Amino acid sequence: MNFSHKLLTGTMLALLFAFPALAEKPLLTIYTYDSFTSDWGPGPKVKQAFEKQCNCTLELVGLEDGVSLLNRLKLEGKNTRADIVLGIDTNLTAEARETGLFEAHTLSIPESSLPQSWTDQIFVPYDFGYFAFVYNRELLKTPPSSLKDLVENPDGPSILIQDPRTSTPGLGLLLWVKKVYGENSDKAWNKLSERIVTVSKGWSEAYGLFLKGEADMVLSYTTSPAYHIIAEKDERFAAARFTEGHYQQIEVAGLLKSSNHKELSKQFLQFMLSQDFQNIIPQTNWMYPAFMESASLPDGFSNLIDPSPSLLFEDSIIASKRKSWVNEWLEAMTR
Amino acid sequence: MLHIEQLKFVYHSQSGLNTEMLFNLSAAPGEILSIIGPSGGGKSTLLNLIAGFLPAQSGIIRIDDKSVQNLGPAQRPLTMVFQQHNLFPHLDLFTNVALGINPSLKLTDDQQDEIHDALKKLSLDGLEKRKPGQLSGGQRQRVALARALVRRQKVLLLDEPFAALGPALRQELIEILKSLVEQKSMAALLVSHQPEDALLASKRTAFIHQGKVCAIDETSKLLNNTAEKAIREYLGSV
Amino acid sequence: MMRRQPVSAYWVLSIIGLAVLTPMAGLLAVGRLPGFEPGDLQFWSSSYIRRVLLFSFWQAFLSTLISLTLALLVARSIAKRGDFPLRNLLLRLFGLPLVVPSIVAVMGIISVYGSAGWFPVGRSLYGLNGILIAHVFFNLPLAVRLLLPVWQAIPEHYDQLAEQLRFTAWQRWIHIEWPTLRENIPGVALLVFMLCLTSFAVVLTLGGGPRSSTLEVAIYQSLRFDFDPTQAVVLALLQLMLCLLIAVIGLSLQKLPEVEISISVNSQAGAASNRLYHNSVILVTAAFIGMPLLAMIFDALRGPVIDVLSDNKLWLAATYTLLIGFAAAFCSVLAGWLLLRTSSVLANHGKIRQAKWLELVGSVVYVVPPLILGTGYFVLLSQHVVIADWVFPIVILINSMMGLPFVIKVLSPVMRKNQMRYDNLCNSLALHGWNKWRRVDWPLLRKPLGLAAALVSALAMGDLGVIALFGSADTTTLPLMLYQQLGAYRIPQAAVTALFLLLLCLLVFWSLERGLGGRKDVTH
Repeated sequence: MNFSHKLLTGTMLALLFAFPALAEKPLLTIYTYDSFTSDWGPGPKVKQAFEKQCNCTLELVGLEDGVSLLNRLKLEGKNTRADIVLGIDTNLTAEARETGLFEAHTLSIPESSLPQSWTDQIFVPYDFGYFAFVYNRELLKTPPSSLKDLVENPDGPSILIQDPRTSTPGLGLLLWVKKVYGENSDKAWNKLSERIVTVSKGWSEAYGLFLKGEADMVLSYTTSPAYHIIAEKDERFAAARFTEGHYQQIEVAGLLKSSNHKELSKQFLQFMLSQDFQNIIPQTNWMYPAFMESASLPDGFSNLIDPSPSLLFEDSIIASKRKSWVNEWLEAMTR
Repeated sequence: MLHIEQLKFVYHSQSGLNTEMLFNLSAAPGEILSIIGPSGGGKSTLLNLIAGFLPAQSGIIRIDDKSVQNLGPAQRPLTMVFQQHNLFPHLDLFTNVALGINPSLKLTDDQQDEIHDALKKLSLDGLEKRKPGQLSGGQRQRVALARALVRRQKVLLLDEPFAALGPALRQELIEILKSLVEQKSMAALLVSHQPEDALLASKRTAFIHQGKVCAIDETSKLLNNTAEKAIREYLGSV
Repeated sequence: MMRRQPVSAYWVLSIIGLAVLTPMAGLLAVGRLPGFEPGDLQFWSSSYIRRVLLFSFWQAFLSTLISLTLALLVARSIAKRGDFPLRNLLLRLFGLPLVVPSIVAVMGIISVYGSAGWFPVGRSLYGLNGILIAHVFFNLPLAVRLLLPVWQAIPEHYDQLAEQLRFTAWQRWIHIEWPTLRENIPGVALLVFMLCLTSFAVVLTLGGGPRSSTLEVAIYQSLRFDFDPTQAVVLALLQLMLCLLIAVIGLSLQKLPEVEISISVNSQAGAASNRLYHNSVILVTAAFIGMPLLAMIFDALRGPVIDVLSDNKLWLAATYTLLIGFAAAFCSVLAGWLLLRTSSVLANHGKIRQAKWLELVGSVVYVVPPLILGTGYFVLLSQHVVIADWVFPIVILINSMMGLPFVIKVLSPVMRKNQMRYDNLCNSLALHGWNKWRRVDWPLLRKPLGLAAALVSALAMGDLGVIALFGSADTTTLPLMLYQQLGAYRIPQAAVTALFLLLLCLLVFWSLERGLGGRKDVTH
């Protein structure tokens, strides 16, 4: 921090005196996406549970969406005040690793409930899910049965999606289309773009708009209907099953080399693997916890669609292609 | 008292034409020397040179036998009265006069009394708290004269101070001016656009034309000097 | 030749020069950016950039066309109905879009035309629809204010002549009005076009996706979304060239519009014909301008007022916003005052051209948009320091420069007049330095100084441009917070924040104008 900033911050603090004495306990700062920190997200519960055992203060900084997290980190580099980044996904891990800002977790990762085994030395998974288009059964009687059906039917439903430059679901859809269409992805996007109501920066925005009735379908997760079933006792919402399969997302956290609280950070990563943390995930983040028997999942999760076959690119391929694929997407979208 | 010799000034006009001006004249204590002549001839330039608002190329300006060319405008022992805007609109009459004695307005009791006396002399007593906006044009110029009075400087420069006033008011103020100059034995230069003013105010008058003092003479003689073509033309045009 | 010519103006010039040229150097040194390839400069080979360029032009063209056409109708009606009731109120209403932060106006437009608003527009407000509505909202009143004086300059005799000759409305237009207007329209059109081409907050909030991205927004996205400085620089250079081109076209025009801070309408009543038509035009326009603000206030009062106001983040953002507003006002007014101190001496000694140039330098932001400056700083700094530490110095610097044209506009005539009237007098009375400032300069200048400071602070407090580029969760201002709420479509919260920001701006404007300016007008 330069002097003027320090002076400024100091003045602000003095002016507001709304901050409790922070200095007494160590402060662990985690950058994450904003829906994680929202009142109904996992943030408040995670904070409460972890602070009970760590004798520290946990600060969760909510920053837009997953891809923005990585950009923010690139911008701040070694000077970031974050200790941990939580909320990027396996589509970004290779690129995140290349920044050289992350440090190996050195934890022994237990048997996970992921469909694949976990070997990453740097990032620790905490939950996973599958992208899907969510719709209201009463308003959309015949949802598309495949991605091709969604893309190629000119009279198909209007959709809300996220920007792959900022949001992990947005990037997920880009990769999903790439898996299904390969070379012809740009044509697919071009066709689809007619029915895209808006491209939002993050997942929260798009889902909020969908619930207000701004479009027929929204890009979200196969697990999203569970929220409506469990929290709202509302059976109207469903995810459309696509015959090509659904693109998988595994959300991870990583420890930063520049952290001043490495032990505390590792303690948090360890806590992330524990059932205390994992139990919070299903009914706050509405994803599959990475370390939990499927039998222990809440009831609402049992009736969800089967996402198989699950689709996923190698993270190294994504790292080398992301920029050109995003450009291709931009060009197709603006045509 | 006021002595000007070979005072040279070169005026650079925007069109690139240079006009050279050269002045010679002097005024005695208690004298009002009127200065008349066509506009653009250099009347105001002369006053600005004496006051130090314009830098002279060369020549001599002496006040009381002391050379003042190298002094800044504020250091020269003189007072200038302009045609308008002699007073600051936001300050009251008393303060406007007081600024003439001390810009920081720290006044001794004697100085305060002096200001009140000066105002009384100019029939401005009772108006001390008025702002310039609440005074008539004649009153505003009287305030300027009052300030000149309290400044007690040797030389008084007046740049068409009565131009905006009617004939009766002009006559009245010229009479006041005459008595002030005599009382304080100042040397005054009165630039005027009206030959009648010169006739009223001055024994001697200078005629300035094309940057030169063409003639200095008794006022009545000068005004009847039909031999000089420039004067004839000027009087014909007024 | 000149006896006294304060040199501090040249310090200010150097600082402005440095503040502009440094980021330009940052942009031009694009070749040194990590990951740069020469091919990146071939913007024409990227169909994305071509589309962005095309859309930038297209929306600016449409915005200008609509704003100007409507402005002609409206200005004509106001000119013809010079005596209508509440005339001053209407003109004040027309001044609002100049002062109201653009992001607040966007909020109001969403309240009126959004899908949950009073008059929902088309399939969606987001996209070209929203951009056009917002640009017309901002530029219609501006164009009216610029065109109205032209109308009023038409001699009354022409009207009487037309009456005698029994001209129809069309003949009046062809023979009297159009010939006068013709000279002025290109300048006004160019100004509006330039404003729409460089408009950032509107397109950012109402664009709704890559399909309707303008150059300015694309620059922002390549820095903040892609973290791709090379692309940002290429786009920024492109934008800079366009602005320079427009500036060159502008300089070649004979008549350039002067943006007046306040305008008046002479009350002479025009021909009484078509009263109903003119009245309705004026009424509809007033509704168009007034409605968004009304709707926003209405939404805000129904919104979660307590929730929003009890959020610490709001107060922190408000503190930062105030800080930026006051600091920018201080810097801008100081710089403007120093510049004008010299230029008024120059002007009063016949060196009009030098004085003009000096004042023109203060308007450099007309040619180099703030976001381009911001991009330059961003690219330059991000390689060496943590951007977040530099948010405030840079935001304040750029906002000060944005305010400078207003400061010069407001102060210049007064300072020139004072210099001409009182400088010799002060000199002969030995009024110098502190005494002169205290006794003469301050009392005579405080009113325009107060107005200038009020304008700059309101402008800086409402700015969403550079702060969007540099801001982060720790350094959020109210406009940025409002943008985030709008981005998350949290409209009720956003409405409350918008009203809060608006009230804060008005409060600061009022307290600076009154506090600095004093209550009384000092003139002869």
